[in-house]
Amino acid sequence: MRIRTDDEVYRVDAVWLGPPKATFPWRARYVAWAVGIPIFLVALTVERMVGISFGFFSTAWAFIGTIVITRLITSKISHERPLGAVLTMWGRELTAPRERTSGDGGAVSASRIRVRATRPVPKNRRRSGGRSKRGSGKPSPSYHEAQGTPRARRDRGPVSAGR
Amino acid sequence: MFGRGGSRGKRDRDLQPGASSWQPPQQVRAAQASSSGGRGGKRLPGEQAVPAYTPSIAARSIDGHLLRTGYEVYAWYRLAPQRWSFRSDSQRRDLIAAIAGQYAELQGRWLHLRVTNRPYPIRMWAEAHVHNAVGRPQDTPGALSFDDYLIGEQQQLMGRSMAEKEVYLGVQVQTRRAVDRAVERAAPLLRRILPEAVDAELTALDSEVEHLDQVIGSAGLEGRPVHAEEISWLMHRSCSLGLPAPRSMPAVPGSAWEPEDLASFTDAADFHSEPYAPTLTVRGRTGSNAGVSRHVAVLTVGQMHGLQIPEVDDPWIQHADRLPASVEVSARIYVRRPEEVAAELARQMNKVRSQVKHYTDEHELEPPQSLARQAGRVLEIDDEMTSGFTALATRVRSWWRLAVSGPTERDTLRLAQQLLDLYKPKIAIEHPEAQYAMAREFIPGEPVASGAYMRRGSVVWAASSVPTATAEVGDRRGILLGETCTATRRPVAWDPWMAQEIRDGSGLTAMVAGLGAGKSFLGGGIVYKTLRAGAHWTILDPSGPLSRLCDLPEMRPYARPINLLNADPGILNPYRVVAEPLLEHFLDEDDPERSWRREKALAGATRRRLVLDVLSGVLPYEIARMAQSRIVLLRAVRAVGGRFDADPGQVIDALRRDSSEHHEHAVVVADFLDEMRERMALLIPESGEDPYSETRDDRLTVLTMAGLTLPKDGVGREHWTDAESLGVEMLNLAAWLTQRSVYEKPKEQRKGVWIDEAFFLSEVPTGRVLMNRFARDSRKWNVRVLLSSQIPADFLKIQGFVTLLDSVFVGRLDDDDAQADALRLLKVPVGVGYEQVVAALGRRPGAARGGLERDREPRQFIFGDGAGGVERIRVDFSGPHLEHLRNVMDTTPGSKEARPSDKIRHEEPAEPGAELVPQYVASPPEDFEVEPDFELQAELEVGLTDEQILDSPREPRATDSGELSGELHNGQNGHNGQGSQRASAGKGGTGRDAA
Repeated sequence: MRIRTDDEVYRVDAVWLGPPKATFPWRARYVAWAVGIPIFLVALTVERMVGISFGFFSTAWAFIGTIVITRLITSKISHERPLGAVLTMWGRELTAPRERTSGDGGAVSASRIRVRATRPVPKNRRRSGGRSKRGSGKPSPSYHEAQGTPRARRDRGPVSAGR
Repeated sequence: MFGRGGSRGKRDRDLQPGASSWQPPQQVRAAQASSSGGRGGKRLPGEQAVPAYTPSIAARSIDGHLLRTGYEVYAWYRLAPQRWSFRSDSQRRDLIAAIAGQYAELQGRWLHLRVTNRPYPIRMWAEAHVHNAVGRPQDTPGALSFDDYLIGEQQQLMGRSMAEKEVYLGVQVQTRRAVDRAVERAAPLLRRILPEAVDAELTALDSEVEHLDQVIGSAGLEGRPVHAEEISWLMHRSCSLGLPAPRSMPAVPGSAWEPEDLASFTDAADFHSEPYAPTLTVRGRTGSNAGVSRHVAVLTVGQMHGLQIPEVDDPWIQHADRLPASVEVSARIYVRRPEEVAAELARQMNKVRSQVKHYTDEHELEPPQSLARQAGRVLEIDDEMTSGFTALATRVRSWWRLAVSGPTERDTLRLAQQLLDLYKPKIAIEHPEAQYAMAREFIPGEPVASGAYMRRGSVVWAASSVPTATAEVGDRRGILLGETCTATRRPVAWDPWMAQEIRDGSGLTAMVAGLGAGKSFLGGGIVYKTLRAGAHWTILDPSGPLSRLCDLPEMRPYARPINLLNADPGILNPYRVVAEPLLEHFLDEDDPERSWRREKALAGATRRRLVLDVLSGVLPYEIARMAQSRIVLLRAVRAVGGRFDADPGQVIDALRRDSSEHHEHAVVVADFLDEMRERMALLIPESGEDPYSETRDDRLTVLTMAGLTLPKDGVGREHWTDAESLGVEMLNLAAWLTQRSVYEKPKEQRKGVWIDEAFFLSEVPTGRVLMNRFARDSRKWNVRVLLSSQIPADFLKIQGFVTLLDSVFVGRLDDDDAQADALRLLKVPVGVGYEQVVAALGRRPGAARGGLERDREPRQFIFGDGAGGVERIRVDFSGPHLEHLRNVMDTTPGSKEARPSDKIRHEEPAEPGAELVPQYVASPPEDFEVEPDFELQAELEVGLTDEQILDSPREPRATDSGELSGELHNGQNGHNGQGSQRASAGKGGTGRDAA
């Protein structure tokens, strides 16, 4: 049983030889024209922006540059790799994840954490118990906002070291 | 769907707190959850801070075998492996057509074909083997212990890369709608208020999924829905593409995988690559692969030539199996609807036409040839699609990717290059850019990364890749024989008792190979390895070299070589070599006594038949063929009866007492037999002596008959000398003796019998009786019977032999007819080119031919395992731990170990008389009368009725041994000149030397 793909059917080399009866000396596929014309326009625009005035030679150079760039691009594409697919793959190459050589975060430091030896207790208990007056002795006003309610803390369970 | 579910959900909710006795399971769970914690519905303080998890892959959840991504639902199937080698082309074509038909049924759907590998679980094999090795012998001090042996076996396999191929197919069930996605997003909330809505999407797919199950499950692909472990394995292998297989897999949840659970796959490894690098790096992060990084190259299938698939070329995806490393395959296939293709074809046709016009009309130029060809092909395809009733012209679009991996980029690229070479020249393999995106394609649920390298073709073309074609043979718990050596390299393990214990098959194995093709080596290896695993063997080796197995240090305490020719008189008494049935062996039958009596009658008839054959066999040919001889012999045998304590001497006496009209002839026959009496000493015990009285339970008994005179090939029965005919008869009796040994051991114990040089079975009429007994009892008594011969025709001549056969080993055979016969034994199509394979087994062309070195390469065999697998294998006992076995089994003359002096020393311990175990005496019941119908039945079974013997007195002898054997011998002589040395000097003349 001879088994083959249908790929040949889709490999039609669609070329534009030029206007009727005026055959160009080169054969370029439609896709080459589709790539070349925008590049030519871009080349002219770039020339204007750089400050090169419109003239025979500037246009000729743009034309030559266009041919070179177009040939470069069309050499990368084929029926197997249509222009769209090549561009997609280019995009995918750019967005692929890279190896991360530098870790983020760096050394962990606990120096900014305020440490107190005693916990604040209500005023009346402190007075009766006659505790020492080390530390600020006054609970920070933002204490509840920062740590949540005591009930919430109970529910939360132990916090792992890295947090 | 929505409305109904909604209203019902509301009603249920209204009724909820215990109002109705029945609740859907989903709700029960929800209710329990809300009651148990007492905080249902309330968000925990700080819960908002937990970030929502979105998997980095497209897959979102896995329910059973359904995998959902954000936009599609896929059903995944595991495809059954298909045999490819040793099938006829028409069978292969049918397989391809069946698969193509299944693809065609899936019009308008995307398929994702994944081939992955499960490394050969050598550890698991060892585990299974140890569990299977029941009652194995104690290790002998100073010899290779069982543990060391098993370690050696594992190391031998570890050195090679062997993997089992697993093929999965994902089929797109449906694309998901925005509503489905919204429902899924709201699932946590919906589950409480409207539980049915959450599952509504999948329940609505039920009939669709069932249809797909049915399509994929039919012959061809033979897929079945994947199990949770399998999809987990596939996801894992895909998400850590190219990494070694994890040693332990994360546990599989009992219910559906939620998006958060998918992290267990994605977190196992991460991928990264440099721009336009030829490979990407996969780095393992968890489990046994933590810190391991591999370079993966993803290749894609490029343009293809026309292939002649079953006839010339292998299935094209199978080329990759030849690579010494594992190759992952991922193919995206879209099965197109015919109308879509028709429109596209019309467009292509227009393109071609306008080009032609552009060339000819507008520019007056010759259009290129390719345009005409393309137009022709368009018409062809169009014709294919519009004609014919089958859907085999359905078209597909597909992308085929192959991935190889190695520890360094260099290794990977080398493998990639090897893969390219394997596919040359008919298939181009490309190495595209965007490696990372292509690697992600392997993960189920991911989209196609790029449209480049699209392959279009018919479903037949897609089906002819046959990724499921494997070279599976053997089982997974038996002894290691070697590896397959066709398209894939796969270790071959074989448990000789699996057929009897599990598959209800017979235990007959034929081993056929020419001289020096490694028959003894293979058989010896099987015996050695199974002995270590607890089996008991009795070997009949007429020429004798196998007795050296008994000399292996680890075997010595359990083994005994016996030279039958030096044994006590009466050891081969035909009345005694047939075992007496014991009542206790029939206790599991419906009517034990009845079956026992039937068996007893059969044993008696078998003995009489055996005596008749032996005695007429040793008579001179002219006398034996006379009708009177048979009449008087039969009468004498009848007179003596079939009791186990009779002996042929009584038959001779009975002949003398014959008082019928043939009295004179009877006396003549008796005189002839008396003449032979001295030489028949082994058959006739001395009065009062019982050679079977000594009991000894040996695990390995090797019976040799070194020095026995056997007829030369090509000599007809009529020209045999007395000694030669006696030799054949004694060999036959010895074969019965081995069979007897089976009944002396417990029924369920694993026993083996190996009869080497089994050609004589076709030469004596009782050979077939013996075969039938073996076939019948091998299952009941758990026996593996190995029969080896150099000529497959010897076996084919035994009527009905092929149907009784379970497994077959075929080694190299040079003769055309022998090759065809060997294929018949294997039940492989004959005449389609496989004869060449038999001829070329293990033969290497060129340089090695003229060399003076001996060929010590592992031999090749074709192995049919009786369970459907037929494959070419390389018998490989090359591990360093088996070196002593190799030395002992080297039966080639001139080799160091095969000196006759060695042999003689080994045979000395063969003390005469110490014969296979008694325990034979079935306590005969007090007044036992053989029921006449049993008697008749038994005589019919062994061919001992008057009609069978006397009506055509020449028939049994003439057909069974006279003419046919003459023919056979001539035949053998004609095409196998070496055959003449077979029996007498087959093993380097050891038989003669020993004598």
